[in-house]
Amino acid sequence: MPDGPIIVQSDKSVLLEVDHPRADEARRAIAPFAELERAPEHVHTYRLTSLGLWNARAAGHDAEQVVNTLIEFSRYPVPHALLIDVAETMGRYGRLTLATHPTHGLVLQATDKAVLAEVLKSKRTAGLVGDRIDDETVVVHRSERGHLKQVLVKLGWPAEDLAGYVDGEKHPIELASPTHPRTPTEQPKEWVMRPYQSQAVDGFWHGGSGVVVLPCGAGKTIVGAGAMAKSGTTTLILVTNTVSARQWRDELVRRTSLTEDEIGEYSGARKEIKPVTIATYQVLTTKRKGVYAHLELLDARDWGLVVYDEVHLLPAPIFRMTADLQARRRLGLTATLVREDGREDEVFSLIGPKRYDAPWKDIEAQGYIAPADCVEVRLTLPEHERMVYATAEPEDKYRLAACAPGKNRVVERIVAQHPDDQVLVIGQYLDQLEELSQHLDAPLITGATTVRERQRLFEAFRSGEISRLVVSKVANFSIDLPEASVAIQVSGSFGSRQEEAQRLGRVMRPKADGRTAHFYAVVTRDTVDQDFAAHRQRFLAEQGYAYRIVDAEDLDAVA
Amino acid sequence: MASTSPDSTAPENGPRTYTEAIRTRSDDALAALLRARPDLATPSPSTLRSLAARASSRTSLERALAHADARTLQVLESVLVLADEDRPLTPAGVVEALGAGAAAGDTDATGDDAADDDAAGDDAAGDGGVVRRVLGDLLDAGLLWDAGADAEPDLRPCPGLAEALGPYPAGLGPARPAEDRPPHPDLDSLPRGAREILDALTWGPPVGVVPPPSSAARQVVEALVDAGLLIRTDARHVVLPRDVGLLLRGGRTHPSPDVAPPRPDGRSIAPATVDAESASAALDLVRYVGLLVAAWEDTPPPVLRSGGLGVRDLRRTALALGCDEPTAASVVELAAAAGIVADDGDAPPSYRPTTVADAWEEQDDADRWALLASAWATSRRTPWIVGSRDERGTVRAPLAPDLHRAWVPRLRTRVLEALDAQPATALDLDGVLRVLRWHTPRAVPPEQAVAGLLDAARLLGVTGAGALSAAGRALLAHLRPAAPGADDDTGDRAVAAATASVGAGDGAGDGAGDGEGGAGSAEVARPGPAAAMRAALPTEVDEVLLQGDLTGIVPGRPSQALARLVERAADVESRGAATTVRFSVASVTRALDHGTTAEELLDDLAHRSRSGVPQPLEYLVRDTARRHEAVRVGTAGSYVRAADPTTLAGLAEDPRLASLGLVRLAPTVLAAAVPAAELHEALRSRGLLSALEGPDGRVLSARLRRPPRLERAAGSRGPTRPGPRPDVVPGADQAEARAALVARLRAAERGEPTAVDRLATRATDRDTPPRTGPVRHAERAPAATPGQVPAPPPGEPGDTVAVLADALRDGRLVWIEMVGPRGTLERRALKPLRLDGGRLRALDPDREAELTVAVHRIAGVEPADE
Repeated sequence: MPDGPIIVQSDKSVLLEVDHPRADEARRAIAPFAELERAPEHVHTYRLTSLGLWNARAAGHDAEQVVNTLIEFSRYPVPHALLIDVAETMGRYGRLTLATHPTHGLVLQATDKAVLAEVLKSKRTAGLVGDRIDDETVVVHRSERGHLKQVLVKLGWPAEDLAGYVDGEKHPIELASPTHPRTPTEQPKEWVMRPYQSQAVDGFWHGGSGVVVLPCGAGKTIVGAGAMAKSGTTTLILVTNTVSARQWRDELVRRTSLTEDEIGEYSGARKEIKPVTIATYQVLTTKRKGVYAHLELLDARDWGLVVYDEVHLLPAPIFRMTADLQARRRLGLTATLVREDGREDEVFSLIGPKRYDAPWKDIEAQGYIAPADCVEVRLTLPEHERMVYATAEPEDKYRLAACAPGKNRVVERIVAQHPDDQVLVIGQYLDQLEELSQHLDAPLITGATTVRERQRLFEAFRSGEISRLVVSKVANFSIDLPEASVAIQVSGSFGSRQEEAQRLGRVMRPKADGRTAHFYAVVTRDTVDQDFAAHRQRFLAEQGYAYRIVDAEDLDAVA
Repeated sequence: MASTSPDSTAPENGPRTYTEAIRTRSDDALAALLRARPDLATPSPSTLRSLAARASSRTSLERALAHADARTLQVLESVLVLADEDRPLTPAGVVEALGAGAAAGDTDATGDDAADDDAAGDDAAGDGGVVRRVLGDLLDAGLLWDAGADAEPDLRPCPGLAEALGPYPAGLGPARPAEDRPPHPDLDSLPRGAREILDALTWGPPVGVVPPPSSAARQVVEALVDAGLLIRTDARHVVLPRDVGLLLRGGRTHPSPDVAPPRPDGRSIAPATVDAESASAALDLVRYVGLLVAAWEDTPPPVLRSGGLGVRDLRRTALALGCDEPTAASVVELAAAAGIVADDGDAPPSYRPTTVADAWEEQDDADRWALLASAWATSRRTPWIVGSRDERGTVRAPLAPDLHRAWVPRLRTRVLEALDAQPATALDLDGVLRVLRWHTPRAVPPEQAVAGLLDAARLLGVTGAGALSAAGRALLAHLRPAAPGADDDTGDRAVAAATASVGAGDGAGDGAGDGEGGAGSAEVARPGPAAAMRAALPTEVDEVLLQGDLTGIVPGRPSQALARLVERAADVESRGAATTVRFSVASVTRALDHGTTAEELLDDLAHRSRSGVPQPLEYLVRDTARRHEAVRVGTAGSYVRAADPTTLAGLAEDPRLASLGLVRLAPTVLAAAVPAAELHEALRSRGLLSALEGPDGRVLSARLRRPPRLERAAGSRGPTRPGPRPDVVPGADQAEARAALVARLRAAERGEPTAVDRLATRATDRDTPPRTGPVRHAERAPAATPGQVPAPPPGEPGDTVAVLADALRDGRLVWIEMVGPRGTLERRALKPLRLDGGRLRALDPDREAELTVAVHRIAGVEPADE
């Protein structure tokens, strides 16, 4: 293919030219095995990683298919060494399988004696396996199923887990349409799962266990509900925080046959165990006298399905607990497989391979996510503030830059430009947020706000009763603000990519009228604030969002 | 054994001896002999007899055999074995004995002349034809001779060949006279186990170990010896005689004819892939060399005293190139071979880019590559041994003068030919070695060298994915004329000539611009390596896709101008078929440092971008440019400042003060190029009442005009505290010093107090309060007061040394009185640094100098006050 849309580099990156006539075809072909690294306007960069190739292998793609795809769409001859490496890497998956032996129980089987010998020779597998049955089979201690998988991935010989799952306690769950209204004002409405959502559910169910990757706002909760309906068993849902737990509960009641009585919340505040139990990571990782106090939850019922929300935030202790949950079906939901701690391989080995992934932009193109317009407003500090900044201690500089008083006026002007929108102001520093809240005459939600108050304000915001809301970091994770169409970020913690995805997620929930969402970041020029903003800018541009920089003085020109 | 046996039935009109055969050769045949074995002609033999003697000498035979391939050796062995038979040996006999006739029996019947087969072509003649041709060559080369008449050939080996080929040719045992042979050995009625023993020895080696006595096998072996089928050579060994061996082999000398070079299994690679890999390697290499030139231009690495590049410089170079050290060593060697960098011959010498580098940098990628490749093709360098140790244990450095071997070009050609024999196939090291071993089984090339040449070929892109690329083939084509039968001396010359033609052909082609076939080359239609590489290189693109995340992608091979732009203004993130770059503050700063302005840079980028410059990138460039050069740094010798700008008005413009190099930095500040004192004098002479100020801004008094030595001495003691006058020995006090010396000498005679004691005395004598040094010292030696203890004489070396050692240990200053070169006493405050071998090395803090004093010249020592 002399004029293909992709260029394969020897460093294992794959460049896809978006404007090429065959770009869509190529994207679909390489998506199963290549991780999308960045998606700016002209050329998207994918990367071939061991995990990605194993994910593809788990999904039933073989090396030949991958190699042929690369060759077919490549504009230039594909580096030979890379093709060999792809074949070699993919060949490593599935040489070892975990299976259930009729007499010996859980066993590790190898199609290649040498591989088994190599793996067993490693110190890391010591204690995880029992007796050798023959050259190709070794007994695995049931409790070490997860640990062994972790170790095998680290050794480069990922095992395919075909040992199956316990059925779990039956509990019928159906998806319900029309919805069950949660508030008196809400109207029941007809709905069906979006095509990609049902594909995700099917992908997961056929794979057994694994991770579904969907962008924020693409309806991951519904994928979870779909999986529960498919499973029809008791389910344990692990979420990041209490607010998120309540939203899961609301959404499940709204869209499934489950009633409030069937759903329990297991959090710091309440400890209910019901057929469907929603627990927070925090309560599970709470230690009392050095031991995890709430481990019994995991064995409290015969769970048939465990759902992990926001897998990319899964804390390390949960991994350890998950290692013991290998006999149950596990569904991971996330917007990104990229973890800032680099523990992607643990997600792979313990939760499972990626079962479904939809490119963010594709879903947006299908109209399920509001397109977002990202604007960075650059504020020039007045002379005296520049002097204060220049002479400040390094550790104070970010705070000084992020809390520049001039930002308040900028925010006011932006808010004034969006009189009809639901505006969310997000920040890190409480003083600044309080000030803004007074300036804008908008309620403020911080970590100190009670859950009840938070929910009341969110509800008011949702219903349009209030149109301005100032929130601190707590708003970053898994709260649902469907009608926020403008988000203004005034300060943030050091430009983490994850945080960025979350914040963008706030405004990218589908809008009823298909309006463009706006994302403003107010940044102080020539300060560390701007340096951190550069990370954000890179992330957003990599995600394919139009990114503009506007000087605060020219703000009026922006519609 | 090779000499004509008396009972041989040679035809009457055939030559009877080897010498005769040589002597009766035609002139053409003699010329053919000399062509095949050039060593016979140097020095010129005086007679044909001596030519024959030389041709059958061990040295010459060994030489000829070293170049012989496996096929030739097989034929020679076969002739050697069969010629012992009584009947004349014909080519057909050899073909049959080799088993080469089976495939082409019909040709055997018709043609018995090698020339016929040659004309018939390989396909028709099959293996038999090949064998005949080899026989013809061997006759030409005088390794065989024909004792028969014209019509009936009788092949004989050259005398001495048996010794040269070694024992057991073709794995057959020794020949024995006909009368010793059993008349009709009955191989079918042998005792049990006998056949197995014979079978084990049949295809060689023919020597077996005799089984232990009284074993069943022993009896069988003995029975075989009795039957004359085995020969006892000594108490423990038996050997299968040649005649029995041949009988067991059914008259064959070899199990199968080894007529063609082996074709080792290799991965087959599509030619397009090979060329693509080759091109990408070539581009990488060209880039490496470019980086090398830039790096060595900035900091030319020194040449080691023994020649070559030091380990640390190699590491630094590898870092600059962004590759590993072995690759860097190869790149350095290639660049040097091409003359792009060289020893500059300065003192001390260092490696620098040459004028060749200038020309090279102007060429396009293909030509740049061709220069490197053709330099490599003829290079005798052996960079693969870089990093190993020589006999003296020194690590061999890249560019070291002794890293060359005369045989390298020949081996290189053979390696490339081995690859060329199997196009579009990737051969590994073992495969190549197998082929090379077949070509010269008696002179196997060192594995390390072959591996090194393959590595270099890969680095150069002469191979791609392990197979010979089109460009590599073109390079080989230029080397080829010299390849067959190349000898040590002539071969290299021929190779050199061939490479000269590479350069010339290419040069002409490039001059023409299209590079398609060297215009000046006599052999037309053979594209030069540069042209072949140019064809393999991906097409140049002059477009960069700029994106909002501050990355840019050049979707192909960047044109030279574009490459320069992106390398300078951005950081490359990924290379390969495409180049991805990222713009950052640092990279844009780099471009601005090179003198580009923000506007130019943006224009340049916009010009090459299909979709213009994205706004974030524009902001980045403009923001960086705004901050770029906002803070300026310069050099100044001194400055002038004044509270009132009018005082300084006109100074900078005054032509009389031009020599001061005055620059106005601000209305009230001027910088000057000259030192402060000179500036001060100049301003004074112009009538300004200037004053010198110190770093603290306070006006310095006239102290600055003191003699420098005094000033520094004062400085070291602190400017404000008037310490005791330093005890320099002024001229006026010389008499006093003399007197002191006399006194000390006298005291020594009498056994009076040591320097330490005198010091203590002096400290107490003085009305100034005792300083810490002496006090401490006095405390350390409380008993040392005059008169109380009989002290050793002053100036006694032991005493001096003790005080010095104390000072050395504590790192303290001491006052030393020493006898100067003119015999005068000098007194200096020194800080001892080292004391051994009767010498003191000390630092003179006042003069900031180190000095060495012989201890015997030290008249006295005493601890100095701080």
